[in-house]
Amino acid sequence: MNMKPLTAKELEYIADSLSNEDLLIKQCTAGALSCTNPQITQVLMHQAQVHQSQYQALLNCLQQHQSLAPTQPQG
Amino acid sequence: MYAQNQQFMPDEDLAYTVLADLKRVTREYGTAATESVCPSVRQQFTQLLNTTLAMQGELYTAMSQQNMYSAASPALRQEIDKQMKEYQQTQQKTNQFVQQKKSAQSQPSPQAWGYQPAPQWPSYAPQNMGQASQQSHSNAGQHTPGQYM
Repeated sequence: MNMKPLTAKELEYIADSLSNEDLLIKQCTAGALSCTNPQITQVLMHQAQVHQSQYQALLNCLQQHQSLAPTQPQG
Repeated sequence: MYAQNQQFMPDEDLAYTVLADLKRVTREYGTAATESVCPSVRQQFTQLLNTTLAMQGELYTAMSQQNMYSAASPALRQEIDKQMKEYQQTQQKTNQFVQQKKSAQSQPSPQAWGYQPAPQWPSYAPQNMGQASQQSHSNAGQHTPGQYM
């Protein structure tokens, strides 16, 4: 896949997405434990795992772009 | 487990807060994908969008099966009729406009600059999305772990 250096905007979106996924991991996990409805509990437990893997995918995306990024501001 | 009176929140409110966040995150992934420059970042956001959308649908389905979510009342037939007639007229006028523009410009040759039309849905979707939707159909609402990945 063709890789370009991250723009400031892309970095902001990735960082915002990481904080969204983090919130959803916690919401789903805490929600699954306090929920009394078995079907909802099952859905939330599973989705907590999916959010964890989405979080990891976003982290990997940052890591893949690290070596392409300049260390000095570009004119 | 909490006893009924020690619950953090009623089940439906709890599920609703997650559902509302999934809707918000779906919109954000859509915006992020459209504003990505790097093709691999765009592909990543597109995949996150599809998966998050699938999760929102899954939670909504579970909530409606548990009577936690009342859908809006159906639109009346005459209202649908009104919109349909209006936009059929619009479509006719637009078709005329397109034909007029095309016939005014006599030698259009879109291939001259190597235009490649965008692929049609579902070729936009990742390979596994087709399987995921088949799975969820055959399971008729049964929850299948790992159906997005």
